[in-house]
Order: sequence, then C-alpha cells, then structure tokens
Amino acid sequence: MDQILFALLNGTIYGLLLFMVSAGLTLIFGMMGVLNFAHASFYMLGAYFAYTLEPFVGFWFAILLSPIVVMGLGVCVERFILRRVHAFGHAHELLVTFGLAVVIAELVKMVYGNFAVDYRVPAELSFAAFTLSGLDYPIYRLFMGGVAVTMFITIYLLLTRTRVGIVVRSAIYRPQTVEALGHNVPLVFMGVFGIGAGLAGLAGAVAGAFYTTNPNMALELGVMVFVVVVVGGLGSMGGAMAASLLIGITNSLAVGSDLRAVDVLSIVGLGDWAEKSGGLLTISMSSLAATLPFFIMLLVLMLRPSGLMGEKE
Amino acid sequence: MTDPILTLQNVHKSFGEAKIIQGVTLDVTAGERHAVIGPNGAGKSTLFHLCSGQFAPTKGEILLNGKNIAGLKPAEVNKRGLARSFQITNIFPGVSVFENLRLAVMRKHNLQYVFWRSAAGVRRVNDEVDDLLTKIRLTDRAQSLASELSYSEQRSLEIGMTLASDPQVILLDEPMAGMSHEETDYTAGLIREITQGRTLLIVEHDMSVVFSLAHRISVLVYGEIIATGTPEEIRGNARVKEAYLGEEAA
Amino acid sequence: MNFKYIILFAAVALLAVLPWLVSDSLLNAAILMLIAALFAMAFGLLCGQAGMLSFGHAAYFGVGAFASVHAMNAFDGEGLLPTPLLPLVGAATGLVSGILAGYFSTKRTGVYFSMITLALAELLHALAPHLKHVFGGEAGISSFRMPAWGIEFGSFTDVYYLTLVWTLLSIGLLYLFSKTPLGRLALGLRENAHRLRFLGYNTHALSTLIFAVSAMFAGLAGALQSLNIEASNYVVLESQISTAVVLNSFIGGVRVFLGPAIGAAVMTFFGYISSDLTRVWLLYQGIIFVLVMMFLPRGIVGEIAERIKNPSCDGLAQTAITMAQRIASLAIAAFGAVFVIEFLQRVLSTEYRAVARDGHWPDITLFTYDWSPVSAVPWGLGIGVFALGIRLAIIVNRRAAARQEAQA
Repeated sequence: MDQILFALLNGTIYGLLLFMVSAGLTLIFGMMGVLNFAHASFYMLGAYFAYTLEPFVGFWFAILLSPIVVMGLGVCVERFILRRVHAFGHAHELLVTFGLAVVIAELVKMVYGNFAVDYRVPAELSFAAFTLSGLDYPIYRLFMGGVAVTMFITIYLLLTRTRVGIVVRSAIYRPQTVEALGHNVPLVFMGVFGIGAGLAGLAGAVAGAFYTTNPNMALELGVMVFVVVVVGGLGSMGGAMAASLLIGITNSLAVGSDLRAVDVLSIVGLGDWAEKSGGLLTISMSSLAATLPFFIMLLVLMLRPSGLMGEKE
Repeated sequence: MTDPILTLQNVHKSFGEAKIIQGVTLDVTAGERHAVIGPNGAGKSTLFHLCSGQFAPTKGEILLNGKNIAGLKPAEVNKRGLARSFQITNIFPGVSVFENLRLAVMRKHNLQYVFWRSAAGVRRVNDEVDDLLTKIRLTDRAQSLASELSYSEQRSLEIGMTLASDPQVILLDEPMAGMSHEETDYTAGLIREITQGRTLLIVEHDMSVVFSLAHRISVLVYGEIIATGTPEEIRGNARVKEAYLGEEAA
Repeated sequence: MNFKYIILFAAVALLAVLPWLVSDSLLNAAILMLIAALFAMAFGLLCGQAGMLSFGHAAYFGVGAFASVHAMNAFDGEGLLPTPLLPLVGAATGLVSGILAGYFSTKRTGVYFSMITLALAELLHALAPHLKHVFGGEAGISSFRMPAWGIEFGSFTDVYYLTLVWTLLSIGLLYLFSKTPLGRLALGLRENAHRLRFLGYNTHALSTLIFAVSAMFAGLAGALQSLNIEASNYVVLESQISTAVVLNSFIGGVRVFLGPAIGAAVMTFFGYISSDLTRVWLLYQGIIFVLVMMFLPRGIVGEIAERIKNPSCDGLAQTAITMAQRIASLAIAAFGAVFVIEFLQRVLSTEYRAVARDGHWPDITLFTYDWSPVSAVPWGLGIGVFALGIRLAIIVNRRAAARQEAQA
C-alpha cells in the first residue's frame, strides 16, 4: 500500500514536471501556431547551464540564472530565426526548430561530452522528507513538485490578472485584431516564446539535478511531452495537465509492478501457452514502463482521436 | 417541380448552450433554384454544414431522395448526390487547375485506391475535366496553378469542383462574396448554366442576385425559417420586412 | 524537356559503369548513397507529395532491415528467396508495419501526425531491447550473403549492382506511382484534405495507404542495408536515422521528385568522406539544414529547378557570375566557421582535457598547423575569415538586388 502511495506521489511529481514543459509548448503553439520541436532542447540546456553555473554561484543561483539564460536564447531564436521563416508557413517553422534541436544536441555533445555529467542534488536538499514503512521519501522530489506548482500559480495569475496577460490571451485567438488595437504582437510573440523556453529551462535546471543530465534527455523528455500533447490535445491547458498526470502516474505505477501478461493470462488458464510464446507476454510491466505512455497514446487515438480534451479538427 | 429532393424536418443544432438552428423544416423541390437568405448570424452556414455532413444535427432528420443523411460523413453525403462549395475558397492551391478538377472527377469513377494505372490514361476522366473546364470557362488556364488564378476564377473553379461528381443537389455557400459587379454578373450566369437539370440550394447576400436567380426563397432568422416563397411573395411578406429588411435598413 | 532525359540517361549510364571508375572504398560509399537516396525517396513520397511530415521513418527502415536478416538466415539465400530477392522481404514487412502505424498516425493530421510518428518510432526503439529473439539484443543479428543465380555477392561490385538495380527500380516505381490516381490524391491530401472529404474521398484510408507505400520503400532500403553490411542491430531504429532522412530530404528539396534522393546522396557522400576528418558531422548537417530552411526554403535541388524554370532577368552570364561570387564568399565564411568549430571541438575533447591540466595548454594541430588555444590568433583567424565571408556575401547580394531594381 505504501509502495503504491510512493508510486502515486512520484508519478504526480513527474507529471507536474511534464506539465512544466508541455505547458510552454502549448502556450507557444496556441499563440503562434508553431510546434516548437526544440522545446525539450531548452529543457536540456536549462540543466546543462545550471550544471555549469553551479560551481561559480552555487546551486540556488544556478537554477535561477540558468532559466534566464535559456530565456535569452529563446528570444534570440524567435527574433533571428523563426521570424525569418514565418512567411514560409508553419510546417517550415516546425522544421527549423527540428533542425535547431539537432544542432543543440550536437553542440551539447561537443561541449560536455556524449555522457551524463555530474549534476547532483545539493547536500542541503538530500535528506528524507518522511519515511513510510522503512522507505525514505526524498525532499527534493517535493521541492520539484513545489517549483512546478508555484510556477503554474504564477502563470495563471499573470495570464488572468494582468493587462499583459489579457493581451497575450487575446493574441492567441485574434492576433490581427490585437495588432490593429495597437499592441506590438511580434513583441508579445517574442516574449511568450522566451518565457516558454525559460520555463522549460527552469524545469531542466531543477529536474536535471535529480534525474540525469545527459545529451539524450531532450529527446527522451521531448517524446513524452509529445505523447502528453497528443493525449491531452494542444488546445487546452487542462488537457495538458490531465494527460501529464495520467502519463506520469501510469509510468511510475508500472515501474513498481512486476506483473507480466503471462500472470494475467494464467488466470484464464492461458499461462502455459503465454510462457511458451514468450516475447512481449513474458516481460514484466516494470521493464515495459517506458513504453506504456505510447500504448496509452495509441488507445486514445483509437477511441478519441482528438485527444482527451481536444476539439475536433 | 413538385417532388421534394431535399427535405429538412424539424432540424435542431446547438453548440453547448448556443442554439444555432431551432427547428428548421424545409422542402427543396427537384430542379428548383432555392435561396436561403437571412441576416448575419442567422445560421445559414451552419445549415449548409448540417446538410453536407460537416456537423450532425442535434435533433431532426435531413432526407435526400427520401433517405436520412443526417449525421453521415461528408464523403458519404457526397456519394449520395449532394455536393457543396465553400464560403472561403476551398481548392487545391498548389496544383494545376486541371489537377484540381481531375481530383474532383476521379471519385465518381471510383478511382480512389488505384495504383496500377496512370491517372492521365483514363479517357473518361480527361473528357469530363475538359468538359468542366469549358463549362466554367477556364480552358485557357488549365495548366496554371490554382493559386495563381484571380479571385473570381478561383470561385469558378470551386463551382466546377462541386459539379464534378455530377450531383443532383448543389449547395453553394456565398459564391459571389467579395466580387465586383461584373464578376457577380458573370458568376450568376455561370450558375444559371451549370444548374440546368439540377437542384440548387444557395446562400447569398447579394439580393439582386438572389431575387433574379432563385425560384423560391427561404428566410432564416435566428435559426428559424420565418417565410418561404417565390421572390414576389418574399418581397411582399411583412414579417420578412420587419425581421430582415428592416434590420438592414437600420 | 529533352535536356532532362539526357541528364537522366547520362546519370544512369555513369552509375552503371561506376565500378570501373572508382576504388572499392568509394564504391562502398556509393552503395551507402544509393540506400540513403532510396530511403529519402520513400520519405519524400510521404512528406513532399502527401504533405505528411514523419519524424519516425527509421522504424520502417529498421523493420525492413531486421526482416531481411532473418530471411537471409532462414533461406540461406536459396529456394524461394534467393539473395537478390531478399529486399522483397524488407518491402513486405515495411508495407505491413506501415499499414499498422499508418492507421494510427493518420488518425490525426499536421503536427499531431508528426508527433505520433516520432512516438511510434520511439515505442519500437524502447521495445526492441526486450525482444532479443527478434532484434538480437546488444549484438544484433548477423548473417551472410549467399551466392545465388550464379553470382557470388562477395565483392563490393556485386553488392553495388544489386543495390543499384533495386534503387533504380524502386525510384522508377515511385515515379510511376506519382502518376496513378492514388499518387495524384497524395497531392490532394497535401494541398487540402478537408476538400477531399467533401469530394467524397475517405482521407484516412488514403493517408494510411500512402503511408504504407512509403514505409514499404523505406523497408526495402533497410533490407538493402542489411544485405550490404550482412547484419542488423537496433541502432537502425534510433532517432538519428529518422533525423538524417528528414535533414537530407529537405536539404535536397522535397517538392521536386528527385530532390530527396540527390540531397541524401550528396549528404551521405560528405558524411562518408568527412568521417575521418571530423567528429561533428551531425552538427554540420544540422547547421546546413537550418541554413537551407532559412535561406533556400525549396531545398537546394528545388531552388535550382526553380531558377531553371524562371530564369532571372539578368541573363545567363550575369547570373553565373553572381552565383560564382556568392558561392566563393560563402565558401570563405564556411571555412572560417569550420575552423572555429573544429578547433573548439579539439579543445573540448576528452583527450585534450586529459592532457591539458594545471594551466598547461599544449598546441593543437589543425589544417597541418599547430595552434595554441590560449592565444587569440586561431580564434581571431577563424572568426575573422567567417566575418569576411559573410560581409562579401552581403555585398554580392546587395549588388544583385540593386541591379534587379535598376532593371525593374
């Protein structure tokens, strides 16, 4: 029971992390119509920059400064690259960001090496928050969850309570109208793109210390974020939130489970047959955990192609 | 001209709380040109979307040749003989005019999943495309990219594509929107020509076109049909004046 | 029009006599180029003609590769499936997996489609290590090309001809496919799937079929690769393979028929010859791709085709001069950029970090000269040359623009 509780908690926090990245992606897509393929690369850069800054300014300033640097980079990408190709259409913008993701991954490999770097949770944060049936629960996980929640509340308040927020929200629906009203839409776009990148960077800076910081982390997380977006629908923050949590929780429940398809089949008397056929049927859930989100995605595509909360295309 | 070919019976459509179509009943007689007019936001486009399969009605029946087509997919509705054009030009911009029409014509000849013969080698298709090109007077532009056509040429192409499946019923959604006087006259002539022997349901804002083209007119206001009749009857109808023309004047 | 056929004929003739002209090493490169070209053509059908951007095409290349290795082992190159016909196994597997994956991924369109293709490829990549008897685990599965039809299939030349025949045949079939009703409807899907639905077509079925055909040729390319290296490893399922085909195809240009093939062949060739010279070829590939997307949106072949179709009003001689100036100044800039990147790569490499400890910075050899990384000279030189090249390119462009304005 306690294990399940742990798994649920871990899953929720991983889900919140996914949402930190997918929220920025959704925001940018909703506003500019651009699927930013390099979004997860900003997440990776956040981790690497924090790792680089840590020896000079300490952990706390590193996770504060790193997102700002990433945000600056995001602003430059929007201003000097995306804006240039805007006229060629959204597919082209997607391709450019795809190319950028490749370039960023290769640059990271060149500068930091093609292996994980030693970016760790600082000593002052590596203790147990609480203990349940002899298992320690690391405080850092709670910290990550806290950062994510604080971030959502901030964004939510910014979007709903400030003038800038109102402009941003209306620019999502009617960019021309907002421009006609005298607002500087390109500037708003640049800002949103930068903030989205910065959020991904913050997620990376915080999560990189707990999970691993390596050149593959962008692809691994990026794919999960895409699954979240397909399951949840790009249109809605609520959908992204629900899907992030769903994927996060199923993922961590599966990691903790040794259940195999064989075991389920033996209930109906097919155990021997399954054992003999082997293959997928004899692999335990925990080793298939990485693939579970994909199966959820396929299921959603079959039953509700437009996503959990998506609108019909 | 007595058999109804397209019948709407007590059709409703709501989006969440918003009731856009509230109990529309309408008979379109075979062979007539029937116009639907009404102020902006009356639900004219929604009505077309319901008939053509874009949306399923919340309630009610839509009969084409006596068979219910409500809720069928667009492709199904098309196969049963109802084709439509769109308010916003809806063509294949990056390919030639010829190709646009060929794509439209091929369906009728069941050339869909065919990968063992050349598309250019099917003479019936080529002949029909040439025919359509003549009808919509775009023969000279056959090899131009559709995106390079002028606006009214694109609208003609749109009508040509609607004709391609040789439908019994054609739905034209504001075919003259955004056109100059000459272009409007030209297109009205075109529509008159191509709808010979077919049934036309048209939404149009240009009243001079509507009153000269349509045999019968239905007036849609706030999701309800308040009157149906010949152009003369509609002109003389007090409710129409009040609800529709009155608003225009104000 | 005739000119086109002459070039095509000359290219095929050149490919046919290539084994007499080049060394074994280059012939090996040519085999890789052909495989990459076919793979890119398969991708081009889906992406260029049908407008569906797949980020996970490695999956179909991969299943084709594995299926043919298994077939190679099962049949020993005899009986029903002699060595030359093995690519058919790859094609069939590609087709079947394409129908399956296509069914799911074409449930959505646009960016969703792209994300689903990527996710499906990653699914296969994540599953593969758990299915040892299919994908052979870390070591992969190896096999041998058996002689068949009186051919040894031992030399590069034999393999080259086998690859050439299949590649040309497939490209020919892809060309014919683009002329069939289904091939034409692919264009319709790209241009306006919504309209197709209202014309009575089942766009989901159409998309699935076209996806499957594309996957079939990708699988065939994968099979050719297995035949070439006599093995398959789940590296072929990795995202780099999917990425490479996207980059190559768009660098060539996906809207012109042979654009993807030419792009892939050229990039593979450069990748092959530069594999000894640089460790960051993928970085260059990525940069080239981004630059092409920014400045030559139609791709290189696409842009050339456009220039031929709509020649500029400058006249042939002037255009040639401008082009030459442009290429020269860009080459200068490229040299500067490559210099900086290579120098940086060497400074940052683990080997160098191991020697350069305690404030001691040994010299680094680059382009036959020794440079000190703590001196400003190499950095200044690289950046300076790069800036000079860019400056020259800007001047050339300004002049060309001024001339056009004067004429207009």
